[in-house]
Amino acid sequence: MILKMKKEDLSAFLESAKEWGELWGPTRKGDKVAFEKVDALSQMDLKATRTIIPPKKFLYPPRFTMFDFDDGGYVERTGEVPNRILFGIHPCDTHGIQTMDKMFLEEYKDPYYAERREKTLLLGHSCIPDEKCMCSATDTEFIAEGFDLFFTDLKMFYLVWVGSSRGHDLVQMRPELFNRDIGKDDIINYTEYRSWKSSQFTSKVDFTGMPDIFELGYNSPVWDELAEKCLSCGQCTMVCPTCNCYNVVDEVELGTIDGTRDRFWDSCMFREYSVVAGGHNFRDRRADRLKLWYTHKLQAYIGEFGEPACVGCGRCVATCPVDINVVSVSKALKEQEVGK
Amino acid sequence: MSSPKVGFYGFTGCAGDQLMVLNCEDRLVDLFGATEILSFAMAKSDNHDGELDVAFVEGSISTEEQLEHLKDIRKRSKMLVAIGTCACWGGPQAMKLEEGGYEERYKKVYGNASIELSKAFEAQPVDAFVKVEMKIPGCPIDKTEFLSAVTKVVAGRHPYLYKFPVCTECKWKENPCILTEGKFCAGPLTKAGCGAVCPSHNIPCVGCWGPTDDLNVSAEYNLLREKGYDVDEIVKKIKKFGGAGVAKMVKELSAKKEAKK
Repeated sequence: MILKMKKEDLSAFLESAKEWGELWGPTRKGDKVAFEKVDALSQMDLKATRTIIPPKKFLYPPRFTMFDFDDGGYVERTGEVPNRILFGIHPCDTHGIQTMDKMFLEEYKDPYYAERREKTLLLGHSCIPDEKCMCSATDTEFIAEGFDLFFTDLKMFYLVWVGSSRGHDLVQMRPELFNRDIGKDDIINYTEYRSWKSSQFTSKVDFTGMPDIFELGYNSPVWDELAEKCLSCGQCTMVCPTCNCYNVVDEVELGTIDGTRDRFWDSCMFREYSVVAGGHNFRDRRADRLKLWYTHKLQAYIGEFGEPACVGCGRCVATCPVDINVVSVSKALKEQEVGK
Repeated sequence: MSSPKVGFYGFTGCAGDQLMVLNCEDRLVDLFGATEILSFAMAKSDNHDGELDVAFVEGSISTEEQLEHLKDIRKRSKMLVAIGTCACWGGPQAMKLEEGGYEERYKKVYGNASIELSKAFEAQPVDAFVKVEMKIPGCPIDKTEFLSAVTKVVAGRHPYLYKFPVCTECKWKENPCILTEGKFCAGPLTKAGCGAVCPSHNIPCVGCWGPTDDLNVSAEYNLLREKGYDVDEIVKKIKKFGGAGVAKMVKELSAKKEAKK
């Protein structure tokens, strides 16, 4: 269902929606854009292109306690997560969450992710690509599902996609702010908006054929050249909306066997990651780790799910201090040369 | 089961790590309760030598007298844990490792005065002389990381310390990367555990936790050169806390650069 809303009504709508839970949105402090808890729409920066960390941080925090244990057993730390409305989620990040859902909610359901996902409403918002955005190359620049509501800014008004019954419940809190009065001009407006957005991309990246190129370049010296540059800092994996690897450790109280079992973001870019019992490391070489990450994103995942595990958000481009990212790596593999 | 016997010892350093142990305040009673502390000169008066389950050693080793003491501690201990970056990697006093010139530097400070005390030598980390089972770096160590490790050590469990670099914790805090802004940040070379305190306040990492598990010194060096930093400044900053963990890599790197010229 697609509804129409006056732009000036958004603030009042979000105010009412807060009855359901905390309101979070993109805020700006200097150069830093991050999802923060806000009181009102006025505190958000809806023009900001990307946050440093994608909204995965809400569903799967960088470090958290799963449960407490003692000699009698364990108690899950569930029930502590607040209801949250995330406003201003862009199509790429919504696609990222769908990838996370596949990992954590399907074959092996992760109770911690599931609880946070259940208590989070995703209110998407349209965006304008910058030079780092490449969602047109990953086919993620528009989104048809995975959100509760999605607001497309058409200058004079919003078109509001209702993507779930929970989204519909939110609409029902203020039904007078929405209408279904969609006319000929609105359709033309929206069609023009789509072509306009598609024309805004300046990134020339083209992922077509990447699975073949990865296959052909599996033993390419390009991987060693990239490894010479790579700092193994792991930032690319932390900021990637589809990276979901983690490590688990127990923290114990002194002199007792009471403790907590904690979970934190890990990265296949780290040497420690692929060490197994007995000390063997399957990917001791930095080049092998880089190869794993990029083939996973742009080759293996396509083979498994028919789409890349890259949503084109541009965060690896914005973050890597030595310019190793999906753009530079696919270019290096195609041209068989690592750019300066 | 009797409590594990432990001892705390300090060598060349500022004693800041032992101070951090005492600064564990609300957990200190637990620590003293869970262990039998035979020796902790900074904390108590009746210290005695004896067989130890765990010896915690702070500071680098820089005199013959210290070396003898260290060897004695090692002999008496089932396990030796280096605490603080000086004990783990040598600390700032080991920043000239692999460069030579110790005699001249010594003369510059002490002149020709005859030193009656023990003979001194270039400061080095504890594991340059004896076997070290575990390193808990930091300048000073972090209370949480220390207690987490100690709890497991005294319980006979396997401690886990972050092996990845500061950048990881820095991203967890959602900080923009200050290296990309052209600042000299040692984050990628430095072990995490501090919670990325400095970059979280927009101050570049100086590397005080010492080297991370898998550092790429050459990549950091090349990046900083591209950003316009001077060779000497880069080497100095990388070695300041990196000590024995980076000295050889920096030397090899400099030799390679020389050969290219």
